[in-house]
Order: sequence, then C-alpha cells, then structure tokens
Amino acid sequence: MLPWLLRRVAAGIAIVFAVVTLTFAAVHLAPGEPFLPPEGRPVNPAAIERLKNTFGLDQPLPVQYVRYLAALAHGELGESFSRRRPVAEMIGNALPNTVLLAGTALLLDFALGITIGVFQAARVRRRSDVALTNLTLFFYSLPTFWLGLVLLLVFAQWLHWFPVGGITDPVLHDALPLGGRLLDRLRHLALPALTLGIVGAGGTARFQRAALLEALGQDYVRTARAKGLPERAVLVRHALRDALLPVISLLGLALPFLLTGAVLVETVFSWPGLGKLAADAISARDYPVVLGTTMLVSAAVVVGSLVADVITAAADPRIRLSA
Amino acid sequence: MITSSWFRRVPVVVALGILTAAGCSRRGGCSGEYCGTFVIAGTGEVTTLLPPVSDASLDRDVFDQIFLRLADLAPDGGTIGDAGFVPQLARSWEWTDPLTLVFHLDPRARWQDGPAVTAADVVFTFDAYTDTAIASGDRTALSHIASVTAPDSLTAVFRFRDRYPEMFFDAVFHMRILPAHLLANVPRGTWQTVEFGRAPVGDGPYRFVRWTQGQTLELAADSTFFLGRPHLRRVIWRFASDLNTAITQVVAGEADAVEVLITPPNIKRAQDAGHLTLYPYDGSTYTFLQFNFRANGDVSRPHPIFADPDVRRALVLATDRPSMLQSVFAGHAKIPPGPMPQQWKWLWVPELTVPPYDTAQAAQLLAGRGWRDTNGDGVRDRAGKKLSFHLVVPSSSAVRQQYALLLQEQLKAVGVEVLIDQMERAAMDERVQGGGFDAVLESWNTDPTPTASVPGIWGTGGGSNYGRYASATFDRQVAAATSAATPEAAKAAWIAAFGTLAHDAPGIMLFSVDNIAAVDSRVADVRIRPDSWWALLWTWRIPPGKLNERDRVGG
Repeated sequence: MLPWLLRRVAAGIAIVFAVVTLTFAAVHLAPGEPFLPPEGRPVNPAAIERLKNTFGLDQPLPVQYVRYLAALAHGELGESFSRRRPVAEMIGNALPNTVLLAGTALLLDFALGITIGVFQAARVRRRSDVALTNLTLFFYSLPTFWLGLVLLLVFAQWLHWFPVGGITDPVLHDALPLGGRLLDRLRHLALPALTLGIVGAGGTARFQRAALLEALGQDYVRTARAKGLPERAVLVRHALRDALLPVISLLGLALPFLLTGAVLVETVFSWPGLGKLAADAISARDYPVVLGTTMLVSAAVVVGSLVADVITAAADPRIRLSA
Repeated sequence: MITSSWFRRVPVVVALGILTAAGCSRRGGCSGEYCGTFVIAGTGEVTTLLPPVSDASLDRDVFDQIFLRLADLAPDGGTIGDAGFVPQLARSWEWTDPLTLVFHLDPRARWQDGPAVTAADVVFTFDAYTDTAIASGDRTALSHIASVTAPDSLTAVFRFRDRYPEMFFDAVFHMRILPAHLLANVPRGTWQTVEFGRAPVGDGPYRFVRWTQGQTLELAADSTFFLGRPHLRRVIWRFASDLNTAITQVVAGEADAVEVLITPPNIKRAQDAGHLTLYPYDGSTYTFLQFNFRANGDVSRPHPIFADPDVRRALVLATDRPSMLQSVFAGHAKIPPGPMPQQWKWLWVPELTVPPYDTAQAAQLLAGRGWRDTNGDGVRDRAGKKLSFHLVVPSSSAVRQQYALLLQEQLKAVGVEVLIDQMERAAMDERVQGGGFDAVLESWNTDPTPTASVPGIWGTGGGSNYGRYASATFDRQVAAATSAATPEAAKAAWIAAFGTLAHDAPGIMLFSVDNIAAVDSRVADVRIRPDSWWALLWTWRIPPGKLNERDRVGG
C-alpha cells in the first residue's frame, strides 16, 4: 500500500502544481487590472504604478511566476491586493467558515441522500419510489445559487424565519451565552447548508438507490432471504453494507461539488468563507488571493479523493491498493 | 390588531426571545441617551483604513467617523470661499494675506491613544499626502499649496502658490489629519499594507474596535470626543455582497440603514417594510453615454461616426430621456442639463436646459450628413457603411442595462443600430481606458465641486476623458471657472462651459438619481450630507424610549 500511497501523493502534488501554474497564467491573461479605483472615481496612474511596484507587478510575468513559486516554497502566499493583508491570514479566517458550511452540507447530503435512497430501494417501483425519484431528480438538477435565492426569498425575506445572511448576528452574538451563540450560529447556517445539502442529497439518493438495488439482486442476499432473515435485516445488515461502498467513493467527488457550490452559495448568503473570498478576489483581480484559494481547493479535492480511495479499500477487503 | 407583518415576524421574535432570554436579560443593558447600536449595511468591504492610500467609498465612510479634518463642509455649504465650512480640528482660521491661511487648532483635540493633536500632525499629514511614495489620489488637488508650517503646537500655516476660489476647500477637504507619533517612523513605501490601516487610531467621534474579515467592522463612540459625545454608542458596518443584499438586510431588520435605494422596486420594498423612514438627499452621481471621438481601438484616427458633431447632436435629439427616466426610475431621478449631479444644485439653473426630444430634426440632421437607409433594412448607411455602433455597458449595473436597451430601441426608430456589449467591470474599464469602444454608459461619482471631475472627464487630455473630446473653448471656460475671483463669476463660467458641452454633444446626459436613504425609524436627528452620507452620524441619536434590545446589549 505504501508505494501506491506515495505515487498518489506525488501525482497529487503534480496536479496542484499544474493548477497553480494554469491559474497564474489565466489570472494574468484575463482582461482587467488590479488596483482600479471604485467605479465612477478617477484613475490615479501614479498610485497604480506605486501599488504595482509594491506588489511586484512591474516585473515581467516569468519573473513574477518564479518569485511566486519561490515564496510558495517558503510557505508564503503573498499579500492581498484588495485587502492589504496576508493571504494566508485571509484564508485562515475564511477556511473554518467554509469547513463548517461544507461539513454541515456534506452531513445533510449523505444523511438525507442515503436515507431516501434506501427508502426508495425498499419500495422500488411503488408510487413513493416514483415520486421520490422525480423529486430527487428535480433537486439534483437545480442550480445551487437559484435554490439559495429561493430559500432566501421565502424563509428570510418573506417569512423572516432565518437571517438573510452572514455567519452570526453582528450585535447580539458576543453578548450571548454559549447556548445562545450556538443557536445564533445554527440559524445563520441553516439556509446555506440546506441549499448545498439538498442539491447534493438529490444525487446521493439516486446513487444509493441504484447501488442498493444492485446489491439486492446478489446471491448472498438471496441466501440471506432463503435463511428466513426478516427483510429489514436483509436490507440493512447485508445489502446496505455492500451498497454503501460505492457511496463512500462519492465522498471524494462530493468535495469539489461542495467547494465550487460554496462560491455561489457563500456569495448569495454573504457567508464569509473561501468561496466568497475567491469570488470577491476574482472581481477585484486580486491575484494572490485567487491563487491561494484555488490552490487550497485543488489540494482539498486531491486529498479528498485520496481519502475516499483509502476508506473504500479499508471497507472492502476485495480492493487492494497496489495498482 | 395582529397584522400579517406581525405574524411573519413571530419566528424571529421567538428566536430573539430565546437569544435574549438566554443572555441579554441577565446583563441589564444600557439605558439613557447614549445607548444606540447602529448597523449600516455596506456594499463590499473596507480596503484599508489609512486615509491617504484609499479613495474607496466605504473606506471614506469609515474615515469620516475616525479621522477629523481641520474644517468640514457644512450640510449645505458651498466650496467657494470659507463661509460654507464648520470648525473641526481647527477652532478658527484667518487669512493673514491673500495667499496665507492660518488655522488655530482646538486645544481639546486628542488622539484616541492619549496625546494632543498638534500642528506638527498637520505638517506631517500634508507631507504624507503630497509624498510621491504614497501617491495619494489627493496629491494633485494639494498642488496649489506651497507649504504647511507649524510656528507653534496649535497653529498651522498654509502658504498657497496662487489665488483661486476654492483655496480653503483644498486646504481642508482632502486631508484627514494623521497621528505623526504613530506613523512618522513607518516607511512611506509600506503604507499600502501597514498594520495601522487595519487597526487605526484617530481623533474623531468614533474609535476603531475590530474588523472581522468578510463580515463586519465595528466602531465605538469616544465618550470624551471634544466636539460632543456621540449619541450612538456603537456603529457597525455589515458587509454585503451587493446593494440588493444590503437592502434586504435593512428591510429584514438586520441592519438599520442603507445609504441609497436607487430603483423604484427598492424604494417600495423599504416603504413596505414599515419600520424604515426614507430620507431623500441630493445625489452625487450622474450617468451619461460617452461618445468616442477616436476610432474604436485606434486613437490615431477619428471615429467614423462620432467625429461628426451633427451625428452626435442627432443622437442626442433622438433620445427620449423623460420617458426613459419615467420607465426606469418612476420619477426618482432628474435629467441633468450638463455633466452634473444633483449635489451641485447651484448649477441647476434655467439657463441650462435639456435638449428636446425631436426625432424629425434628428432624422434631418442624419440625412443632411448623408446617412440614409438606401437598402430598406431599417438602418441608415453611407458609402456602404451602416450607421451602427457598439455600446459598452457594465454587467454589474441593472439600471444601465435597462437604459442600454431603451437607447437601442429609441435610436432604432431613427435608423441607428446599437449593439450592446455587456462587460464585467474590470474588463470594461481596461477596454474603455484603452480607447477600444464606440460608446460607453458611464456613471460618475463626484466631489462636492466640479473643479476636479469636469476637466478630468471632459477637458482636453483629462485623466478620465476616455472619449477624447477636445475643445479649446470648453477648456478656457473651465479654467475661468476654477480661477474666478467670486462665486458669481465661477458660476457664470461653469454655465458657459456646460453650454459649450451641450453644443458639442460629446455625450448624452441621461440621469442624475435622487438619493434616498432608508434608516430605521427609531433613529432621530438624521441629517445626511450628499458628499459624505454618514459624516454627521455622531449627531444622530436614538431616544431612550425607542431603544431596543440590540441597542441595550453590552451596556
């Protein structure tokens, strides 16, 4: 297993390096300049030149690239053009918020998806199965930002059940005891996590249903039934255990979905995470922040995929990590 | 009576009840005159809180609370002479000769970390703002000032190079006085990223508390502020992704104010919310279609269509601005007769008029220049070339997109084809600044005076004159306006300059919005300055009888 792991880690590093290089080229080649004044205000060429000099943008692109890589090798991500603070600090502030959002959404995604998928497989081709198939397909095909806007409109703007955005109440939060602070955070988390979680759950449910139906057709399930085990035990103890393996591999695929979805959902809900940070940075042509967030997300996807493979192998003795 | 609005708020009341029962009620809370917590829904996020290195709107709003000027514009003050200004750091001032202005500082003024504000701080500030290493956007405006000296700790002397109407404005408006004891040893080249910009120390009514990335910026009232204790105890900016989100926060009661509403649907949402009071005030922006006088992408050649003044005039005449204004703003804007926002109300005079909507005359002008529809496709042509142009519009502005569509429709009626190019703002700026456009819908946010922005956008060689309009007559008239000896002479010269613009038609002046702020109705004494929305915030208050739980918390 160790050689396999080392090969995968090396491949992962190469992938992240390629992503950084491509992103570096893309952001510099894209139209638009950093350091522009706010819209409708005069451009100050001297200030722009000064800023370019301060941030090293007056150097040729290859020099900037080499300098960036050299700094990266020392663990430095540079300074943000638009917020004038270290990128590592900004990412450090935003990352826990995205982890909280994506983690909650992932829990919702798998808890809801697996439950619905199992329920459907147990009632295959009945009316409830058909209805849920259509419902999950509907949610799976929804753009996350659209669902976010609808939830925001209905539950925050019209019904006022949840806040319209942010991560905590800016006035009351600090004055609350621990329980109150937790409740406040949950209220703010609910809509963005639901947005990401529901869309993901639509896909997970369809996947889980198919996997469980395939497992239910296997010989060992027929044997279990022939032994007279109750259907519930056959479903949960025998078929589901096998059918969960492909779903576990979905974990690795869910990560990129969640992180890219977070860009839109965090923007809709003013959630101060990596996604919003990246979106704001792209608008402001804040190259170091775009590069930092892109690198982190690509690394997370590589690691997520690796972890999913390892978990799948650990859960399924038939798989040997040697290829 | 239980209303539907009450019913909708039940879950919020319950949630807030749980929250407050869990925590606030045990804390007693603040009561009395100085308890308000005021949350402003801000669009975007602060860049840096060091004044000379930022011109961003949100940054300037925060500067207004933390840093003082020597004197500030009175709510209805003019920029010519010194009569329209009120003391801030300077208790008084005098002209010892036509080129020498002496400020006497208020001895009560203190930096929030303790030391007194002195004339040495004023000298240091002028030096910083005019330093090329900092490259402040206000450097040009300060170029008329030859020197600033400090004969004693409470006296600052400004020596000017020449005499002009806005000497006092230039001396006080552009610079917010900085603490020399905290910044003198910081290398100027590092000011863009210096820690002070993330946690400033000022001398204003509010002191910095914290800036939580992507979320909020919090200030606390300085109870010892020498001009009077601010009534609002805490001021919090809550960062929103865009104006719609900011307005939603205010409508939902999660923020107390937003400075502009702009469109009729937003105004209606705020009116329907029930807990907001709307405050109209003069707008500081105007929006226009700017023609490029040079060929798209080749500034060495004249533009094949817009180099001809008759064609430009025809397009102005073919634009039905009143109907566009009604359709987009439902009356919440005005058509400027020149390049002017509503805040320059002294220039909204009968002598300047908006050209009439006259498609017959427009058609006649175009035909007179040889533009006729020879092939019956509905678009005029001349020598095989269609009368067609690209109009660049920022994708971030729904209002300007609406205007682009309306312009397209109206100009089609006189046989002109408009192709709309929607562009992301940074990409649009790069293209427009490089001259790669035919026409663009621009919106300009102005200073309290036309002195800088008018020659900048419309003057020959102006830094923001992307259409490359050039008129010696206009330049001469602007020079006369900026150097006039009296306000009356300046006004006459500006009117003449705007008359020249109307004749030359380098653009179509489309609208100047009525600014309307939405503020929670529990806030009293609300006064908004057009050039600086929150500048008078420290004089606003929440009467003790109207304090809510959010105002009392943490007291």
